[in-house]
Amino acid sequence: MAKIVLTGYCDRFSVKPGEDISFMVSAEGTKTAEVQLVRLIHGDENPEGPGFIEKEVDGPIDGSHSVRKQHTQAGSFARIDDPDTRLALGQAFTLWAMIWPTTPEKGRQGILARWSITHDRGYALGINGDGQLEFWVGDGKKTDAVHAEVPLRPRQWYLVAVSYDPKSGQATLYQERVETRYGNLLSKITPLDMNSHVTEALRIRPADAELDFLMAGCHDHNADRGDFIGQLYNGKIDRCGVVGRAMSRADLDAMLQEVTQPADVIAHWDTSEGYSDKGIGDDIVDTGPNKLHGRGHNRPVRGATGYNWNGRDDCFRLAPHQFGGVWFHDDSMLDCQWKATFSMTLPDLKSGVYAARLQAGDTIEHLPFFVRPKKPGSAIAMLIPTCSYLAYANDRLGLEFPTSQLVSAHVPVFHEWDIELSKHPEYASSTYDTYSDGAGVCYSSRLRPIFNMRPKHRMAGTAVAWQFPADMSIIYWLETKGYDYDVITDEDLHREGKDCLSPYQVVINGTHAEYYSERMLDATEDYLAEGGRVMYLSGNGYYWAVSFREDDLSCMEVRKLDSGSRAWQALPGEHYMASNGERSGIWRNRGRPPQKIVGTGFTSEGMDESKPYRRMPDSYHKSVAWIFEGVEEELIGDFGLAAGGAAGIEIDRYDLTLGTPPHTRILASSEGHSDSYPRVSEEIAFNFPGQGGTQHYHIRADMTYFTTLNNGAVWSPSSIAWGQALPWNNGDNNVSRVMANVLDAFAKPGPLPGAEYHAEEKHWK
Amino acid sequence: MAIDKQSQHSAPSRSLVGDRGWLPRIRLAGQRSLTRYRIPFTRRTWFQGHAVVNPRDLTRQYKLDDKRPWFWIGGLIAALIIPILVGTNLALTAATTFALYAAINLMWMLVIGTAGIFSLATLAVVGASAYLAAWFSIEFGITWPVMLLLGTLVGLLFGAIIGLPALRIDGLYFALLTMGVVELCRVYVLQSRTFGSATGGLYGADTFIPVAWQLKTPGLILGYVAAFAVMLAMLGIYRLVNGQRLGLLLATARESEATAEALGINYQRARFTVFLISSAGLGFIGGFYATYFKGASPSLFSIDQVMLLFAMIVIGGLGRAEGAVVGTGVVVVLDKMFTEFGPIRFIVIGLIMLGVTLFARNGLFGIRDQFVEFRNKKKSERRSGRTEKGGEPLPEEATEIRDKDQIYFRRFDKRLRDHLKTLVTPEVIEEHRLKPLGQHSDPLERVLNYFRGAGGENKYVLYELKANTEYKIIVTTGEKGIPPRDVDSTIYTSKNEALHAVFLKRVQDLMDS
Ligand SMILES: [Fe+2]
Repeated sequence: MAKIVLTGYCDRFSVKPGEDISFMVSAEGTKTAEVQLVRLIHGDENPEGPGFIEKEVDGPIDGSHSVRKQHTQAGSFARIDDPDTRLALGQAFTLWAMIWPTTPEKGRQGILARWSITHDRGYALGINGDGQLEFWVGDGKKTDAVHAEVPLRPRQWYLVAVSYDPKSGQATLYQERVETRYGNLLSKITPLDMNSHVTEALRIRPADAELDFLMAGCHDHNADRGDFIGQLYNGKIDRCGVVGRAMSRADLDAMLQEVTQPADVIAHWDTSEGYSDKGIGDDIVDTGPNKLHGRGHNRPVRGATGYNWNGRDDCFRLAPHQFGGVWFHDDSMLDCQWKATFSMTLPDLKSGVYAARLQAGDTIEHLPFFVRPKKPGSAIAMLIPTCSYLAYANDRLGLEFPTSQLVSAHVPVFHEWDIELSKHPEYASSTYDTYSDGAGVCYSSRLRPIFNMRPKHRMAGTAVAWQFPADMSIIYWLETKGYDYDVITDEDLHREGKDCLSPYQVVINGTHAEYYSERMLDATEDYLAEGGRVMYLSGNGYYWAVSFREDDLSCMEVRKLDSGSRAWQALPGEHYMASNGERSGIWRNRGRPPQKIVGTGFTSEGMDESKPYRRMPDSYHKSVAWIFEGVEEELIGDFGLAAGGAAGIEIDRYDLTLGTPPHTRILASSEGHSDSYPRVSEEIAFNFPGQGGTQHYHIRADMTYFTTLNNGAVWSPSSIAWGQALPWNNGDNNVSRVMANVLDAFAKPGPLPGAEYHAEEKHWK
Repeated sequence: MAIDKQSQHSAPSRSLVGDRGWLPRIRLAGQRSLTRYRIPFTRRTWFQGHAVVNPRDLTRQYKLDDKRPWFWIGGLIAALIIPILVGTNLALTAATTFALYAAINLMWMLVIGTAGIFSLATLAVVGASAYLAAWFSIEFGITWPVMLLLGTLVGLLFGAIIGLPALRIDGLYFALLTMGVVELCRVYVLQSRTFGSATGGLYGADTFIPVAWQLKTPGLILGYVAAFAVMLAMLGIYRLVNGQRLGLLLATARESEATAEALGINYQRARFTVFLISSAGLGFIGGFYATYFKGASPSLFSIDQVMLLFAMIVIGGLGRAEGAVVGTGVVVVLDKMFTEFGPIRFIVIGLIMLGVTLFARNGLFGIRDQFVEFRNKKKSERRSGRTEKGGEPLPEEATEIRDKDQIYFRRFDKRLRDHLKTLVTPEVIEEHRLKPLGQHSDPLERVLNYFRGAGGENKYVLYELKANTEYKIIVTTGEKGIPPRDVDSTIYTSKNEALHAVFLKRVQDLMDS
């Protein structure tokens, strides 16, 4: 019997009773799946903890549902809207484009094409199997082609074109390197002749493909999948167009000097048109007479530096016309666009973490989602860091990232799901991966199966539960301790701003709330200023600046810039996000270090061994000593599900120079970290030996506490491992005790404990 | 770390490398507009070549994809002109024989090489056509063009008759069967009055050579040119059949009959078609034979002639048109031009055959590939003898490494490994066993950092079969989308035990390197 595979996703992360939610499922090896609504309590199977816990809940989706395999179109491309089929092109024509290919050697790729791969019909200007520019045509039976003399070089700007006259059959290819000191990989001093001009009389006349004109792909079809787009192109396409006559060499030479609309223009795509200060959408504007606009699918990366980038203006907002690059990636995927397998109007459920559990044979899959209350009713909100889930969604770090073992100091431990994921490049990768052409993945969406947002999942590279399954340890603790809490998500916070937090006395962060949009940051800051309370349970939180398009919160954007612990680095001139025009990178470099909001900020990471905190002398001040009530030990958290301690994995530190409020107390600090915990890159200006845990005092997690305006406060254990130490010994431990002391105090309105101990000290000893 | 001493110690013997370009390079500036003219009715261009970028100086050079067409043209022109220039009757008749035999051999090559049918009746088809064409010409006075047509038809018919059993019986039996056919024909024409048993052949047919030129040099030249044209025609047929769809089908089928059937290729039918085509070609040659010699002789059916043809094919190499032609040339020159040496010629031919079968896997024309292969083998033997495994590349090897960074990496890595090997002690291994994760002693940290930093290919990692209780070691492939593979079936029951097992494997690899 074939192995049964079940996977899927929900159309939303969070849902309130009375709202609708749909579940998209794809299945192999089975035609039906048993569905059961469950409430998830704990997700880490580490034997030191309580193990996996779920509770079945009666739901309208329960029962047997028929399932089938659903396909996914990967790869970004643009489809031209051409209702009058002006691009069927019976006459002589010229196709031209400014291109910057990234993987010319990868196999056949369409650049400007109205080409049916299955029927060998139409025409295409693209790249052939030898990496050369090629113009090919087909009449439905046979194909013919003319190719340039030398392969295209990666990451060089070219003006490429074909002038074709069906009467004579003559096709002339034009390939000229665009001279720019900035955008090309190789300088003009490299004695490499990249130009080519070839004429050949083709025997075949193109028959109309009767399909849409595409940028960066060609039409394909197979019996199993139906129609799809193949022969996807990797690289940038800048200005391009179609002209209704065979342009001469001189005409094209003039275009190389300055792109203008030629006579007899059929389509003239000015890729830099339609930009705004608030970002760039998917539409590619035809400024010609026929308005044959294009629309990007799987979100080609817009606003990339163009063939004419002068290197001085570093943002598409400053000089849009220099940023006409549309960067296509053959493995970008933002929305599986599967059909809903089942849906429900959410019944009156208690707020929490839920999942649709699918089962067929021995195969079980959970599709988690977050239930918000109809109206906020609790004092406590657990803020689920869904932005960070997106950032890490389907990371392929362990399998493909060569330095990940050095970072984690751990031999990766793989599981079935890693192997399964590696078979599905179409489920796309995380912002820790690169697209197949080496560019960093800057978009991540939730409209796809996310293999690591599942209970029981463990990240291969670090061999611990990470993100969602790690956060379930906090959920378990809240459940076990009997707290009344609501669940909210980053997406809700981004959408609703401060109003999302205001109803709550206290907001708890997840274990790794690393990715923050400006709106989330603003909301948190305003909430705290108005008396809100935050328990910052993260390490390396409030770190990367991310953005969403105003009309689409399913997809997050980030650019990794010149600093910060980063899996890739955006190219010069591409530091601003196309979603909203904001600069990305780490918040610290935009003037908003996390210390300003939660007191601590990223200082180190390592995955070999987590350590305990030791109480600091300041914690004995009566204004904060209540936090340690009932704790006898000096060492806190010498246990835990994340590498055996409460301080570890990623840890943050107090720093007055980065805006830690001056009255902040360091209550406890971790110690004894190994050299596999080095200082983070943004802390290092000059590098020198001795940056590791055994030699540098900055390698520590600081548990800090400070009050804000209007009885607000922030308590920050500042470590990913903290949350995963809570369930140890069924929640009966000193980490849990400290946590409960803080939460109990924070959940109560009014003045905080210890607030009265503010007088000047008159010490005798 | 005794790096300096070591580097002097391990410096391999180095010699200067680099070849000077003696031939002028055809440089083509990309600026220049190039028109590729096509050979009419094909997609091929006259100068099938492409530009290459010379990796040593980035110059764009023009390189012919395939030099063979030029050798063909040159060779054929030489073969046509030299006998005419020599002009002796001996040279011209020998050349004519060469052209005819080459034509026959091309068709035979189709039968054996392309269709995979081991027929020895090739010459018999020619003979039968020649006899019938001659007989019809003598009896009914048909003219030479009709004789050519008739020969072709006879060849086709003959081919159909002997081709059918080929589909039913295996190679060796079929070869014997065809040998029987040849002998039958020979005995028949020797005894048949109709076919000139008395005169030792059937003569008096029409010929294309004008009466005045007969047995004179102009006649011989005309005969040679005509025979040469026949050879060119057969070459054309060979290329069409072997290089086009039918040949490709059969090539697929030869690789795997099952695949061919799965693809819907009718193997037997394709074979039979090729056999028919070649038989028709042979029939045409037979018709030509009769018009050239004005008749036919029983020698067409003699086994020794078959053997001589066989020698030509063996020497030239099976499955290559140029082999058939050049092999024929070699044997014909020896046989016809050196008659004064008597039977020694045949011993020489035999020796050449022996030499070719013993030392050249694919006949004369396989020698070049074989030589290159031999040189590569020697090269890698010599290199491995001069460098340590994984050590610094030799100058000649360095020229072949595109990313020069890798050359330094190999030097550095070798030294680092040599040093790390001195750090691996039983104490260090025990230290790891007791505590695989966390801070370690300096030597162990250094060794571990090396392991962690090694590339993604062939890296030992763990696979958790059952949460917390079952682990095994697997190896990553370092390639996107290609899952890791198993190493062995050992199951480790705790993560620390598994981590230590990985460490031991990595230590083993380090010490072995
Ligand atoms: Fe992170």
